[in-house]
Amino acid sequence: MSVTVVKPGLQTTVQAGPRIGLRHMGVQASGAADPLSMALANKLVGNAWDAAVLEATLVGPTLRFDVDCAFAVTGAQASVTLNREEQLQHETLFAAVGDELAIGAMQTGARAYLAFAGAVAAPGILGSVSTNLQAGFGGHQGRALRAGDVLGLAPHEQSAQMTPDEFRVPMSSSWAVHACDAEETSLLDDASEAALFETNWVIDQRADRVGLRLDGPRLTVSSDGRMPSAGVVPGTIQCPEDGAPYALAVDCGTVGGYPRIAQIARADRHILGQLRPGDHLRLLRRDADHAVALLKAKTDYWRAWLPEIASILR
Amino acid sequence: MESTFVLTRCGDDLFCVAVDTPQDAQSLAAALREAGNWLEVVPGIASVVVRFDAIAQDGEEAGQKIAAVIESGIDGRDMPGELLEIPVVYGGEYGPDLEPLAEATGLSADELIARHTRDEYSVDMVGFTPGFAFVGGLDACFQVPRRAEPRQRVAAGSVGVADGRTGLYAMASPGGWNIIGRTPFKLFDPDIADPFALKAGMRVRFKAVDAGEFDV
Repeated sequence: MSVTVVKPGLQTTVQAGPRIGLRHMGVQASGAADPLSMALANKLVGNAWDAAVLEATLVGPTLRFDVDCAFAVTGAQASVTLNREEQLQHETLFAAVGDELAIGAMQTGARAYLAFAGAVAAPGILGSVSTNLQAGFGGHQGRALRAGDVLGLAPHEQSAQMTPDEFRVPMSSSWAVHACDAEETSLLDDASEAALFETNWVIDQRADRVGLRLDGPRLTVSSDGRMPSAGVVPGTIQCPEDGAPYALAVDCGTVGGYPRIAQIARADRHILGQLRPGDHLRLLRRDADHAVALLKAKTDYWRAWLPEIASILR
Repeated sequence: MESTFVLTRCGDDLFCVAVDTPQDAQSLAAALREAGNWLEVVPGIASVVVRFDAIAQDGEEAGQKIAAVIESGIDGRDMPGELLEIPVVYGGEYGPDLEPLAEATGLSADELIARHTRDEYSVDMVGFTPGFAFVGGLDACFQVPRRAEPRQRVAAGSVGVADGRTGLYAMASPGGWNIIGRTPFKLFDPDIADPFALKAGMRVRFKAVDAGEFDV
């Protein structure tokens, strides 16, 4: 029981929940770059929120089923076809043996999530089955999918479901995330500090699961630009030597040597997974207590559809 | 000298404690783990970053808990202390920056190797990528900056020097350290029960070997 990769898409990986608690050994989070969209896809096929899915980036894969299996697609807007017939996202879909599923180019958003009833087979390593692309382990052979790869499935019976309208995360090309001051925000000169939180940043071509470079005014810090290596997490915004802020994402290293000038709030980190080159991004400055209040309000809202929302946005 | 610690909230679910030394960072991290339930406790070269679950735990309480651990004192903790000898093939294709470093320092390549293999070091920190080890305490001749142009790819096992430390690349990655050699010793193996060969606090000694070691 499996699905075969006909075309891999630009970068399609097996992802699930993050690895938590091993950053002191250098182990990155990995996992879905947009865990909220992943959880929505898993919900539609009766899986646990963090069951292994396929994460497709900018251009999706084409796959052929050799087993009857329910599936669902969420996240970035893209055409989804089954045997060339257009299908809808946010609904449980049903494939039969021999069917070919194609996810096209993403129109808005960067990553689509494809969940199969019963999850993709992958070995658990260091607490998760997610692909760690940098270290080359987890997921499918520790790498992005290639044509000809065969992924194991274990389908269960699944009734049709739809994501209620109020829980369909709207995709956009213009985003805003809440952010708090970080350990070295005070090293920014006054003009740079103002610019950080007032600029409508543009996502640079250099945007992937490791991090996203922000184009706009160059910032200056009152140090030589280098810090003793210190802990960073997804959502940390660094100011490298070239002055272009760099927002770290799920695959980022566990320590970094650049000033940490802002920290995207936990409630909004899932948005990093949907930012694509050319998108706009504003950083809305909030103090830590305010950001926690936002997190609680957001999780309260989502709990009605996704009871595990506190874990999903962890 | 008394250790100093400065605690800052640096995000809705993050605290950072600035400390004086890597040893203080490791000791504080160990004490914090014993005292509480955290998502991550990440010691750096001069800091410890703590990520807590801001839904399950009040931020102010989390901060007070960290402050209490700091106040209770963390000095004199036992570190692992195990000694590991790491074979290194120095120079040539395995250590392209050895000769340039020799020129820059006015020492011969042999002298640099002699100094690198002379002392016993301690692992200051593990991080960046799985198993990457920062090994402290190098001879003053290794007080050199990182390369201005980082390499796109540094091979797994590469042994780099910068800022008085040795960096051990557990896996291939981009990197800016000056690469003086490579070890055939496997630093990270996700397929075994304990994937991490090196842990903070371990003692390390480097031993020069010839390139034949890579054939074993």
